[in-house]
Amino acid sequence: MKTPAQTKGIAAAFGVSVLSSIGLAVVYVQGGQTQLEGLLLGLALGGISVGLVMWAKHLMSEGEVVEAREVVPLQTDEREEVAEAYEHGAEEIGRRTFLSKWLAGALGALGLAALFPIRSLGVGPEDSLFHTAWRPGTRLVKADGRPVRPSELPPNGVLTVFPENHTHDADSQTMVIRLPTGDQIPGPDEFSAEGLVAFSKICTHAGCPVGLYQTQTRQLFCPCHQSAFDVLEHAKPVSGPATRPLPQLPLGVDNEGFVIATSDYPEPVGPGFWDRGRG
Amino acid sequence: MKVFMTAIAVVVAVGAGIIVWNAYSDRPAEPWLPPAVVRSDSTDGKTLYMRDCAWCHGAEAQGTGRGPNLTERANGTAHIDYVLSTGRMPLDSPDQPMQRRTPIYTQEQIDALVQYAEQQLPITGPAVPELNTTEADLGLGNQLYQVNCAACHASTGIGGALGGGGESLPLISRKAAILAPDLFEATPKEVAEAILAGPGTMPVFGPETFTQRELDSIVDYVGRLTEPHNPGGWSMGRTGPWSEGAAAWLIGLTLMIILIMWIGTRSTE
Amino acid sequence: MVRKVVTWVDDRLGASRFTRDVLAKVFPDHWSFLLGEIALYCFVILVLTGVFLSFFFEPSVAESVYRGEYEPLQGVVVSDAYRSVMDLSFEVRAGMVMRQIHHWAALVFLAAIVVHLVRIFFTGAYRRPREINWMIGLTLLTLAMFNGFTGYSLPDDLLSGTGLRIAYSIALSIPVIGTWMAFLVFGGEFPAEQIINRLFVIHIFIIPVLIAGLLTAHMALIWRQKHTQFPGGRRREENVVGERLWPTYAAKSMGLFFGVFGILALLGGLVQINPIWLYGPFKPAQVPSPAQPDWYMGWLEGALRLFPAWEITTFGYEIPNPFFPAVLLPGITFTLLYLWPFLEAFFTSDHKPHHLLDRPRDRPMRTALGTATLSFYFILFAAASNDLLAKWLRVPVENVVVAYQILAFALPLATGLGTYLIAKSLTKREAEPPGAAPETARTS
Ligand code: FES
Repeated sequence: MKTPAQTKGIAAAFGVSVLSSIGLAVVYVQGGQTQLEGLLLGLALGGISVGLVMWAKHLMSEGEVVEAREVVPLQTDEREEVAEAYEHGAEEIGRRTFLSKWLAGALGALGLAALFPIRSLGVGPEDSLFHTAWRPGTRLVKADGRPVRPSELPPNGVLTVFPENHTHDADSQTMVIRLPTGDQIPGPDEFSAEGLVAFSKICTHAGCPVGLYQTQTRQLFCPCHQSAFDVLEHAKPVSGPATRPLPQLPLGVDNEGFVIATSDYPEPVGPGFWDRGRG
Repeated sequence: MKVFMTAIAVVVAVGAGIIVWNAYSDRPAEPWLPPAVVRSDSTDGKTLYMRDCAWCHGAEAQGTGRGPNLTERANGTAHIDYVLSTGRMPLDSPDQPMQRRTPIYTQEQIDALVQYAEQQLPITGPAVPELNTTEADLGLGNQLYQVNCAACHASTGIGGALGGGGESLPLISRKAAILAPDLFEATPKEVAEAILAGPGTMPVFGPETFTQRELDSIVDYVGRLTEPHNPGGWSMGRTGPWSEGAAAWLIGLTLMIILIMWIGTRSTE
Repeated sequence: MVRKVVTWVDDRLGASRFTRDVLAKVFPDHWSFLLGEIALYCFVILVLTGVFLSFFFEPSVAESVYRGEYEPLQGVVVSDAYRSVMDLSFEVRAGMVMRQIHHWAALVFLAAIVVHLVRIFFTGAYRRPREINWMIGLTLLTLAMFNGFTGYSLPDDLLSGTGLRIAYSIALSIPVIGTWMAFLVFGGEFPAEQIINRLFVIHIFIIPVLIAGLLTAHMALIWRQKHTQFPGGRRREENVVGERLWPTYAAKSMGLFFGVFGILALLGGLVQINPIWLYGPFKPAQVPSPAQPDWYMGWLEGALRLFPAWEITTFGYEIPNPFFPAVLLPGITFTLLYLWPFLEAFFTSDHKPHHLLDRPRDRPMRTALGTATLSFYFILFAAASNDLLAKWLRVPVENVVVAYQILAFALPLATGLGTYLIAKSLTKREAEPPGAAPETARTS
């Protein structure tokens, strides 16, 4: 039923849209403002939407229409024809067994050869997962490259460090911690230096940096899936999905008084992988 | 439809139960009277200390069964000023969790207590820091914040959960969670004090870890981070993809479903 | 004028009969049949806004010092990818709103697909002859999830970089081929240089083309097989009752498109999404907290959080923990989903074609399985924010994990059983008044 009220409503909706579009242009020319842009664009689009839907609902209703549906198994006769047509051709090819074998061989060989460029996608793992950039005597440096003196860490202090000249090396990141006096230093004696201990910062679960240290419980905590590692127990996992302790980095102090690593990590750092036991 | 309603009702009921239980579990088990911490006009450090603090921490700050030794962690008057000015101390009872509250003391009283601790108690460690943010470098502060602070307090400054210490706790436990608080109410001085003193479970970043300029820069960045300015619009508490997903469903898709319900109903003529 | 055009086209293509049928095509009108259309229009909006964004994005991890508008980042070393998204947000006029509309559209796109899938499932619309379209739909869901994840990763910010870090570790966890796979996909050990560029190609070209192709097939099949409809009224297996495409349905559908776009525009302008300026550029030694993926990946994240500390080590080889929740679980999930129409046909011995839809209550077993499964994945999804819940409730996060682990088993059992009983009692109540005509479905 055409009623003036509905026509007016639809026109108003389109009108809102027109005004909003003009507003949008003005806002843009004036330098733009994210909230106004979103609001006006929303109104410009919404006006058209409301207008169209009202129009369709009130002024176009033509009532229900019934259409027949072709209920699908219908072309049963043609099925036989399809099969026959295919078989006819296949037979013609198949008769030439010698040639068709060669064709299969050629396509197969080409397919195999085409797989090789996949190898170009990246370097192979080799043994890169078994080593980090730490070497005997490598200094511990902060993200800005400055080496670390033991005195920089007060009791309950922590620091994220990297091997000198390798501050971009993702798998070498390490947490140095000074436990408060009175705590039993974890790990073998030769792994700690002047009361400092260091553990890999890469979670053994899925590799997130274990960046949260709680001084009261002496635990490292991973924010990704909430694994907690007890530093006093050589960083063994005490809750969450991680299954292996964080590897410990052996520390020393060089003759200029900077903290160094005395070797690489004794085991692969980070998340597990198939042949991790090989190392 | 009814099935969904029932399911929703169950979820809501369970949720409400947890919240109510939680609200109650924060209350002290029984009223614990002394020390009678009341607003008082005394501005004498010693009087205040002996009346309100010594009860738990001992007359010489050596600690008692009710409160820890204040000299042990060597976190200095920075820590004392921090806990007093954030209202974390004094507690109403020894087992109440330390949380930010409106301070009980006036600034004058806090200064008096800090001065008393500095001069009369065997407290060592960082003093209340002086800040000079005119020298600060916002970008440097940003970087240092991301490396050292964001893991616990969140890149967005909203704080986070740190796990309960890994013990297998009973499911319904009254043990409070270990949390990194949000930073929105922290004043620059409090931020600097927390960095130097490492309150609660926070690590300590001593005066040798950061230079004065670095400290100033971090404090400056935290101030900037916690400004309620969100260029993209409503921040939804800055809880990240979680609240974004909720908004996509509860605002975006819900509005669209209302729209198609309107489109899909025939107009009655 | 119209006649001239029609003649011109028909002289060349002979398409008049087809076009006549198109314009007269009948669409059943139940609102829930428009859920898929919401998804379709989200995709269109994603393409429109995405084209704009792609003109500004630089898929490179080469680093430079940030000197842009956003003051707190001044002097920080950032990748080109991150900088270009920052410039797009802060310097390109209307860039921020475009970016936010794009991201909101992605989130709603996935939500609409899921609700559409749920509707199809509970009404049995996947039964013969529509099994192929069910499988195409599932493929679209997977592709959409994957494209969402690649897009989320492009800005090279700290949050998405952490997500990539986890994705790399999940690839590593695959037995035998995992290490090679991770290295070839990423181009080397994480964080390899190529990954952003590869994700970009996948995100703006490969997957969108696949989605567009499959969407076309999806709709062509609907066209060929015609829409399903609820029983009742004049609706039969052999007919379709509804409105003609031209003009009523077309007008409504266009109205829906503008409405969807409008809602997304409002969200894009008024609600902040993915504030990468707060997260900062990705640096491998930094980590954000709370670290979460976008919602559609939440169930995988939740599964990683809930799966106990368990893995297999034998003969010096190991299958690491993430493999089970993040590779095996989705593998099983999607296998079962793909097979579902055939499994159901097998177990119910119902191999007939169906064009009339079921009411959920009339298929209590299917409906119960559906709600149970949904509640399981809902718990996984909720578990992805267990740290936020722990903080909000002030309880240890370990307790929240245990609670969710219990719920992951208890809730599906309870909802499944409850659904079954409710469905049964509903149909029983309907059957009770003797002689009463079977109630017609609610179809309007
Ligand atoms: S990455 Fe640390 S718990 Fe998963």
